[in-house]
Amino acid sequence: MHPRTKTSPFRPVQSSITDRPECLKPNSKVQKASSGGTRKCFGLQRKRKTQPLLKPQLKPLQNLPRGFPLLVLAFDFGIMDEGVDNERQEYTLVVRKSYFGLPTACPSCLPVYIYLKFAQLPFRLDFNSTYPDSDQIPYIESGDYVAYNNENGGVIESLKKNGIVDLDSEFYSVPEWLSTKAMVISWIEDALMYELWVGSDCTPAKKIYYSNLPWPIGKVLFLKQVYSVKQRLGITKDNAEQKEEEIYKRANIAYSALSTRLGEQNFLFENRPTSVDAVFLAHALLTLQALPETSVLRSKLLEHANLLKYAEKLKIEFIEAGSSSSSIPYFQSDPPSSTSRRGPPNWSSKPRSKPKRQKTKEEKTFRRRAKYFLATQVVAVILFLSLVTRSDDEVELDEDEGYGYDD
Amino acid sequence: MENSVEEKQARTLPNPNPDQDERQDPSDAKEDENDVVDDDEEEDEDEVEEQEPPSKPVSREAQLRAHKSKMDDLFRRMQNEKVNLRVHDVLIKGNTKTKEWIIEAELEGLKSATTLQGLLEAAGIANARLQQLDIFDSVRVTLDSGPPELPGTANVIVEVVETNNPLSGECGAYMKTTARSWTVEGSLKYKNWFGYGDVWDGSVAYGPNQTSEVSAGVFLPRFKGLLTPVLVRVSLLSQDWQEFSSYKERLLGLSLGLLSTRHHDLVYNLGWRTLTDPSKMSSRSVRRQLGHSLLSSLKYTFKIDRRNSPVRPIKGYAFVSTTQVGGLAPDHRSLRFLRQELDLRYAVPFGFYHAALNFGISGGVIFPWGCGFLDKPSPLPERFFLGGDFSPICTLGGPTTVWGFKTRGLGPTEPRRLIKDKPNDENSDFPGRDFLGGDLAVTAFADLSFDLPIKWLRDRGIHGHIFAGAGNLAKLTENEFRNFSFHKFLESFRSSVGVGIVVPTKLFRLEGNFYYIVKHHEHDRGKTGFRFSFSAPS
Repeated sequence: MHPRTKTSPFRPVQSSITDRPECLKPNSKVQKASSGGTRKCFGLQRKRKTQPLLKPQLKPLQNLPRGFPLLVLAFDFGIMDEGVDNERQEYTLVVRKSYFGLPTACPSCLPVYIYLKFAQLPFRLDFNSTYPDSDQIPYIESGDYVAYNNENGGVIESLKKNGIVDLDSEFYSVPEWLSTKAMVISWIEDALMYELWVGSDCTPAKKIYYSNLPWPIGKVLFLKQVYSVKQRLGITKDNAEQKEEEIYKRANIAYSALSTRLGEQNFLFENRPTSVDAVFLAHALLTLQALPETSVLRSKLLEHANLLKYAEKLKIEFIEAGSSSSSIPYFQSDPPSSTSRRGPPNWSSKPRSKPKRQKTKEEKTFRRRAKYFLATQVVAVILFLSLVTRSDDEVELDEDEGYGYDD
Repeated sequence: MENSVEEKQARTLPNPNPDQDERQDPSDAKEDENDVVDDDEEEDEDEVEEQEPPSKPVSREAQLRAHKSKMDDLFRRMQNEKVNLRVHDVLIKGNTKTKEWIIEAELEGLKSATTLQGLLEAAGIANARLQQLDIFDSVRVTLDSGPPELPGTANVIVEVVETNNPLSGECGAYMKTTARSWTVEGSLKYKNWFGYGDVWDGSVAYGPNQTSEVSAGVFLPRFKGLLTPVLVRVSLLSQDWQEFSSYKERLLGLSLGLLSTRHHDLVYNLGWRTLTDPSKMSSRSVRRQLGHSLLSSLKYTFKIDRRNSPVRPIKGYAFVSTTQVGGLAPDHRSLRFLRQELDLRYAVPFGFYHAALNFGISGGVIFPWGCGFLDKPSPLPERFFLGGDFSPICTLGGPTTVWGFKTRGLGPTEPRRLIKDKPNDENSDFPGRDFLGGDLAVTAFADLSFDLPIKWLRDRGIHGHIFAGAGNLAKLTENEFRNFSFHKFLESFRSSVGVGIVVPTKLFRLEGNFYYIVKHHEHDRGKTGFRFSFSAPS
């Protein structure tokens, strides 16, 4: 089903071009074409020969004729520049590191990733693993445009505000949608935060946030974050047990409500994805794949079969299928690592072996030369030592010969 | 504090020629205002009394004449021949808190002296070394005759007066290599707390770009048999580069001075560095570098400075080479880089009006190492940045500035984040570009300084100078070295000329200069005009 037809499960945002950031205007039509077009179109864009970038006239999407995407596809062949400028205009989502079989294991970053997947907005993934305590991550950038997590209510809200993508446009006036969103953002996210930093043995949190930092820095930041989470959740030594009970109880209520809301549908509202689906799906995937089997929160989620089915289905459709094509990470500050976990029989992440990094020709040459250099040095040292030892022996012999008793 | 070396010799010298009669070998001694009656004198007198039959008491005038003739004889002998002498014993007095081995460690030259001349020289050196420890109010080294049964020997008596007030304060302007700018620093010192000659200090420094540093350190003259002193320093440095590169830097560091001699300096640095961007305006390259990193590096500096003055060199040369290796930690996640700086200066005197022509050329390169190093960028704070209102003459140690360009005012740039409601204005104080520094930096300058015709100015050291400077930066990392070309690098050199007046003060060097920018690039922050600059000698 073509995403631009009226029967598509979702529609990208229909906003006028004047609302968009200035830096997006010259390429906006090409970007929209690529976002609505096939992934093949996106891949081909990276192989263009250098030609001047033309500025086609812009039209609202709903007025485009059926044949337009094909024309756009052909149009794209001739006009795109390759190189840094073209790559900079594409969206790049900067997230924390990949772990537990997920493209990013950070609870703040995964919802944005899923949201962009729902919107079928092509983007690249980039990783920042050295700033675990930043509230600016995740952020999305395209040229000079950047939307940080700690602005305008988050990246998703920034994308809506800037007219880039909005999956919730028809739900703002729906009270149930608003209340569900509030419940997911508060109760369920608090429960996951508690489980990651306080409830469990904190191993998942250490792996997600601090595995790429040197030990002393990671340790100090971890302790600082645990303290901060306890402050935020209002946990003290006196009320720790009571708070834990309250958090799990609310999470359970939320799961039950969501399970009832979902039923047998594909999505939570009107069988189409919204930001609430993105946030809850991220929560569910992290709870099921990142938390240990002894986790109370995980066991509570496992009680709702339709939620598990919902998570698995959407994961296969949008994350595992999507990771093989459009969101190819072109620059990684740290290579993504994925670990396989044992889960319940009806939920197991496919173990992925770490891709072996291909050494470039230059690196191979450099390593070979380095080995030759080291070998030469060792040989030279050995030769020198042997020569010096031999000459010392000769000198001693000469000296001995020189000493004699005077008659 | 008394800095004098007082040498007092007994009236009866330790006899280098034991065969000679004692009477015929008068003891020579220097006149000393604070002479204390020498016990040996009394003993000698007693011996004389015992050995000889009682005679008439010698008049004071005769005694003085005898002393004078002994002194003359001694000086004559010292000028013409080596007066053999060895040290029998070294006595240390006055140290109530200071451990004796700390003082003895500075007196090793005395024990190895074999002549009187050598002993006098060694005594002077020992006195200077003990003064340098900065824990004594006064030091007195006295040479006394040895035991009578051991002719040709001397005893050395070292009298120290430990400082009554161990707390002291200092204030000054310095060139901070960590901050890469000059700073005003105030410090408090507490001396000899544990009696190991240890000097504890706490200091606060403040400089431009909201540079602030709080540090505490301890200086140990002798530690575990090491030949050179050990300096340990803990510091918290904070720098605000928001205006130029859209980031703030905070470094919590430990610095360990392993070797410090006149020409060599070896320091180990361990630090936790954090780069943040509260303004959320940084460019893409800077965004990628934000976060935490562990700095573990060894820095070796070789320095020769044969110029007659670091503030206004008229003759001589200087050379500095600094090599820094980062990533010396078992943890492979620390910052890994290699950094090399070279700086060569030469001053040619003209012989009139105190005029001199100073040349200088400096260069530096940084490159990461480790797995995938060809694709990695160099750490942003470790890169080379050129620019700043201070004189390159005073700042010895790598490429730092080109006259006429503002702080971090030249080199590769990148556009900052664009916010729709707040367009970046190039004319504002926060231009829309971040200066990223370079992996390769080269600067050169020529400066002709001369006295001014007004005597009042000459007496105060105020002089004029005409200068020209040039510099350039280039990126080599992230495979950019493949696109590097020396021809393009030379073609893109920035340059400036100017003329000005220099006012040297006790704390810093003040210059009032008129700059003319000969060549600059589109985004450089160099401006033709008149400006003041402050420099602290490094």
